[in-house]
Amino acid sequence: MTNALPTLDALLHQPVRTQIAAYLAGRGEASFAELKRALAVTDGNLDAHMTKLVEAGYVESRKEAASAGRPQTVFTLTEPGRAAFAGYVKALAALLNPQPETTAESAPSLFIRPV
Amino acid sequence: MATSNQLQSIQAMLTAGQRCVHLDRHSLLLWGGVGGVMCGFTDQVLTPERFPDLTQRAVALLIWLGFWFGLMAWVDHRLTRHVRSAREETLPFAQQQITRAWWMLMVLGILCSFAMFFHGGGAMIYALWAVLLGLGMLLFGLFSRPLIEWIGLATILIGVGGLAAGLPMTTAQWLTASCFAVGLPLAGWLVHHVDDHSRLKRLLALGIWLVAVVGGGLGVARLSPGMALPDADTPLVTVDPGSTIPLRVEMGGPLVSISPDITLPVVVSRKVQVALKDGQPDGRYRIDDQPWSRVRDGALYLRIDRIQPQMGRGGAEIVVHGNFTFAGDKQ
Repeated sequence: MTNALPTLDALLHQPVRTQIAAYLAGRGEASFAELKRALAVTDGNLDAHMTKLVEAGYVESRKEAASAGRPQTVFTLTEPGRAAFAGYVKALAALLNPQPETTAESAPSLFIRPV
Repeated sequence: MATSNQLQSIQAMLTAGQRCVHLDRHSLLLWGGVGGVMCGFTDQVLTPERFPDLTQRAVALLIWLGFWFGLMAWVDHRLTRHVRSAREETLPFAQQQITRAWWMLMVLGILCSFAMFFHGGGAMIYALWAVLLGLGMLLFGLFSRPLIEWIGLATILIGVGGLAAGLPMTTAQWLTASCFAVGLPLAGWLVHHVDDHSRLKRLLALGIWLVAVVGGGLGVARLSPGMALPDADTPLVTVDPGSTIPLRVEMGGPLVSISPDITLPVVVSRKVQVALKDGQPDGRYRIDDQPWSRVRDGALYLRIDRIQPQMGRGGAEIVVHGNFTFAGDKQ
């Protein structure tokens, strides 16, 4: 009897994109500037990752008028994006602890705050 | 190991996203400043001399506090939006909801201050404000930095502890004013300068905060000008134990009216000294050889324990059992 290893979402299996998804899952929405600050990445790097996530339908963006300066882009995790992220975290947890009975339940909750 | 690191990194980013509420420095300065001034000086603006009628004074207080806190909420809201927009940041949903809860706590404080004119409990009004402020801070802290959470808890404990310790009203007043005026700006400064991920540093920061807030509040209460002791030239009246003095009862309301000249003879069981100014008591008094107090400190109060209708010798009567208490007694 063999246990098939869980497959990881190729798009999310990249450290920066995983962090983007995690940050958006926790915060709800974030502007480009906030993401850049939280992840400590360059404009170009972040832009490239955001483009991929938006094209995949995992993230949606909208322009928000600013009281001063140019309008800012605000990103939100879509429902498919949230589901893909939850699935990715479960798959990672299953890889870490491959007993069949603990694969799904051992994944950390997306909304549990560590004390 | 790489998978484990990846999960840890996800957890760290989730936490960073969830703890996204950020109290801006201007919010802490504005609320701290206005709250401190309100606690410290409201009773010097809305005096019984300016508003002799109780209802008038209560409505004046409602308008006074409502205007300043309302203006503060509006200015803070506009400034926060402007600052966030200038920094190309969004206002998280959690922060918007907590800000509403914060406003509700302040409104609750204003309404309780108003209601205490009619339903009593005025001696604990400053403790109540400290608890409400602490709850607001704790609420922000739950989604923000742990240090804010701890400071919120400490503010609640200051309010409850002050009440439990039976602090004079002036001391409680300045402690609460200090929680606002010193505590909020200092919390903002500490959050920006202390890495509160370390429990030890957080504890140290909380210690600094407590020393500044409690020390500041107690210091101002001690230096408060109204606490000046009567000097050698101040005329004093001494009422010896066993003396009978008239207790004039002024009572009204929709149910009863009472003749204004009715007095009850009460026997004083302790030595009482009263300071005079222009031939009238100026509010300073001393019981036995205890320190001088002021009537408005709230240490001397009449508590109605129960109201009991019963049939007496002359027919129906109402027994009102009151308790004249001096909170400064060391029992």
